Amino acid sequence: MPKIEVARRDLERLCPSLPGDDAVLEELLASLKGELKTGGELLKIELNDTNRPDLWCAEGVARGISALNGYSRRYLVDLPEPSVRIEVDDSVTAVRPWIAAFKASGPPIDEEALAALVAAQEKLAGSFGRNRKTAAIGFYRSGCISFPVRYSAVPRDSVRFTPLGCDSEMTLSGVLSDTETGRKYAHLVEEGALCPLISDSSGSVLSFPPVINSEGTGRVSVGDRDLFCEVTGTDWNTVGLTASILACNLEDRGFRIEPVEIGYPRETPDGGSVSITPRRFCDTLSTTRERISTVLGILPDDAAIERSLAGMGWDSWTIDGAVVEARMPPYRHDGMHEVDLIEDIAVGYGLNRFEPLMPEGYTIGASAAIEDLADAVRIMLAGAGCEEVLLPILTSEGRPGTPPGIVRIENPMTLEYGAVRNSLIPGLLGVEAVSSHTPYPHRVFEVGEVLENGSGDLRTVVRLAVSISGNDAGFGDVHSVIGLICHGRGHSLALTPSGDDRFIPGRSCTLMVDGREAGVMGEVHPSILDELGITRPVAAFELDLESLGGAVQG
Amino acid sequence: MEDRDLHPLELTLLSYLDGVGEAWDEEIIEKSGIGGEGSYRRAAQWLISRGLVDEAGASGETRVLLGPLGEECAAAGGTPELLLLDMVEEGTGDFAAIQADSRFDPARWGSALGALTRSGLVRRDGGRLESAGSERGVFGLLWEQVYAPLSQGGTVVLESLDPQVAAMVSDRSPKRGRGRAEFLLSTSTWQKLSINENGRSALERAKAGRIAGRLTPAMLADGSWRGLRFRRYEMDIPAARIHSGRLHPYRVFLDSVRRKFLALGFSEMRGSIAESEFWNNDALFMPQFHPARDIHDAYFLDTGGRRFAPAADILAKVASAHRDGGDTGSRGWSYDYDESRAGLPILRSQGTALSARWMASSPSVPGKYFAIARCFRYDQVDATHLPDFFQVEGIVLGEDINLRHLVGLLRLFAERIAGATEHKLYPGYFPFTEPSVEMHIRHPSIGWMEMGGAGLFRPEVTKPLGVEVPVIAWGLGLDRMAMTAMGLADIRDLMTDDLGRLRAMRVRPERMPGGGGGVADA
Repeated sequence: MPKIEVARRDLERLCPSLPGDDAVLEELLASLKGELKTGGELLKIELNDTNRPDLWCAEGVARGISALNGYSRRYLVDLPEPSVRIEVDDSVTAVRPWIAAFKASGPPIDEEALAALVAAQEKLAGSFGRNRKTAAIGFYRSGCISFPVRYSAVPRDSVRFTPLGCDSEMTLSGVLSDTETGRKYAHLVEEGALCPLISDSSGSVLSFPPVINSEGTGRVSVGDRDLFCEVTGTDWNTVGLTASILACNLEDRGFRIEPVEIGYPRETPDGGSVSITPRRFCDTLSTTRERISTVLGILPDDAAIERSLAGMGWDSWTIDGAVVEARMPPYRHDGMHEVDLIEDIAVGYGLNRFEPLMPEGYTIGASAAIEDLADAVRIMLAGAGCEEVLLPILTSEGRPGTPPGIVRIENPMTLEYGAVRNSLIPGLLGVEAVSSHTPYPHRVFEVGEVLENGSGDLRTVVRLAVSISGNDAGFGDVHSVIGLICHGRGHSLALTPSGDDRFIPGRSCTLMVDGREAGVMGEVHPSILDELGITRPVAAFELDLESLGGAVQG
Repeated sequence: MEDRDLHPLELTLLSYLDGVGEAWDEEIIEKSGIGGEGSYRRAAQWLISRGLVDEAGASGETRVLLGPLGEECAAAGGTPELLLLDMVEEGTGDFAAIQADSRFDPARWGSALGALTRSGLVRRDGGRLESAGSERGVFGLLWEQVYAPLSQGGTVVLESLDPQVAAMVSDRSPKRGRGRAEFLLSTSTWQKLSINENGRSALERAKAGRIAGRLTPAMLADGSWRGLRFRRYEMDIPAARIHSGRLHPYRVFLDSVRRKFLALGFSEMRGSIAESEFWNNDALFMPQFHPARDIHDAYFLDTGGRRFAPAADILAKVASAHRDGGDTGSRGWSYDYDESRAGLPILRSQGTALSARWMASSPSVPGKYFAIARCFRYDQVDATHLPDFFQVEGIVLGEDINLRHLVGLLRLFAERIAGATEHKLYPGYFPFTEPSVEMHIRHPSIGWMEMGGAGLFRPEVTKPLGVEVPVIAWGLGLDRMAMTAMGLADIRDLMTDDLGRLRAMRVRPERMPGGGGGVADA
């Protein structure tokens, strides 16, 4: 979940109706699916809706709260015609096809606004733009740029420029290998492929997206008032929405937005080869009063619906008889279905105002048979003096006592949890390895899931395992336990000698329950005990719980 | 006290003292037939405290034994100091040559030289070592008084040594690092007991009556118990500790949650811990580019390239819901859904995957389902994260289900599962539900906490799976309640492999789900 830090002073500036009391602020943030983690001068807020990147910045939170307090406004309306253009070269189609841009002029930018701008840029490119893959952002002083701007892809050693924060020119491969930022984002530029480049009509490099801007134009400072912003990326909508959100943020700070015309070499997903950005997404959703009452169980009147939509910051709406049609503000693009509109009506109305109802349909509860079986066997084992343990399913493949065929995890966090257990015995031996200070004898059991790697598929199987350890512990002890359980559950038990190398030769067997192979039993081999530092003999058995189902007596 | 009959051990000890008057403990243990030292000590302590015997004397001494370094000296026929003195007197003045002598390691030769120069027995003249005479000083005494008797099988008592030698021995018997000790010290104390008049008369009384220690089958068979009096027991002796078999406290907690849901008319869902990306994510309308689906949020299984694709018709429907909404009334996520990824095997990261599978297998309408499912999230394991954990999740289906039923269901959970008297709802966000609600409750022993969330499944989820009625999806986070019920601060203790810690865990019945309704401990 995105977390942001916002200076209260900056938020107050953007939202004059901001409550001074953190508790009131907390309630308002809840309607934005946000949580106030820390109050005071530097607010820390967590935003839970991963489809609302517009909220991941001071401006977004301020917009949300203003609207809830009854001060909503419209964004990106009455924009002038674009006066400048970006030419997109076909060479970027294969590497990073999309770009969106706009110009913005306003009051001289101050320190807090600049900090907020950088924070929004990082959060959008980092979380929403998948670490600059689907969207990366550049800001510039627009006065330094000679339009039209060209977006192309070039061989990495064909161009030299001075990257932001450096004092000498270098090639694009130099940027990737010799700067910290370059190394961090080098994986986004495919080995051997052309590199994206933004340059102006005078030939100056503006940026090497998604890696770094140029020192000359790509540094915005306190006092700047004429900005140019571009967003490039691999996903059409992510690029477009990111630019729209940034444009709305600047409007909140008193900037006037001038769109930019972008000429593509081919047709865009919106049709046509010319795109004007920032785009007004303005998802329009339509629903009916009937559907609202079906989903919500209440039917708010027109005034209540309008209050909800205004409070949730919607751009515009009409209520025409039975039909409600509403347009989202341009910084949102999460309206996919009429239920999205209905949810906002419910949130605006207040969730805690809904009278609870109980589902009326009559249902009979039914337990899963394997769980009932597990319960019955667990209680028998407790009665047989065994203590139950509950251990993680993730394990490491090299644990002593692990049978072959364990399923590994391709992307383990640590090797300790790098595989999915295929036996309960290694876990029980692990218990013995750390419990030598606990008075003996130890009679331990676990009933739990393991993952079997079958030839066709992966099978989750519930197993039962018992281990007994102590000065005199041996085969007979565990044999008595499995004997008790089989007898108690009405199953026949037979032991077939086996050569399982986890056990002492001549002291291991296959457990045959009702004539079918169901598990293994034996005295654990001293080499395993030695490896684990276990100082007392251990005998154990493990079997499929299913084998104890069915023939229950009494 | 006076009333209490003599314990058999006391009787044995008193009888022995009655014969000899007084004796040292060693003698008593050896000759009285009392058993081991432990039995003697218990009996002696009881008798002294009851005033039946007196402590007539006590003594203690410290025996000197050879440690590993001392054994080396014994084998070499001398301590490094003595051998070094010998060599210097024979004219070996070069310390490097001495250090090369293999009888001791260079470090021991070094410390021997230090000890000799400090005591003045060896001088350094330029680079050469010279003897100050034929004096052996304390090093000679050490050999005579300690090494010599010990190597002949004798005993050496620290207190009887020359004070200088005793100091050296103490110095060279460190309490720690006994592997590098020259000497080991073993301290013993002895006790002398004598019987007094009270003791003699108690013994007389005991012998006069026919007192039996225990009732035996033979007494029952021949009726001899009739003439017997049984030794009276002292009631304030603590009982010997036994430990029973028992169920794991966390599972006891989860069992009680399970019983609650069954009682509320829910049916139990079960499924595999290995899932496909399709059922874990796609079927829940989480787009393939969703941040929560990054490689680092789920564990991918190495199955040698095997994939587990869903049935073609369901895959097609879900794919079109992702692409353009299909017939769900949605515009979809508008991206190029990659069907080849659908069958990638992962570990189930959310219990909702089970709900998706259940919806696709013709659930009852109306229907209420729940699962207590093991799930796996890509997280560092620490005091608040387990490598795998239990999620309590489920669905409610019905023709007329709406948001108010969801509110009612959450209230039911707050009251019946958590025993909460107050709860509050907030807008929530889950990719697969709309509207989505989070519930905070006032838990009787934790205070305000987040208990879980719920929502109405998006039509993009239900329709492709063939469900035409509204479905409430809900999930509860019960770990914190479980930890409170068990008095734990570290979540890893829920799955500890330490038997001692496990034996110490208790479930507090008043903190069980539903507040006091649960079974405490098994």
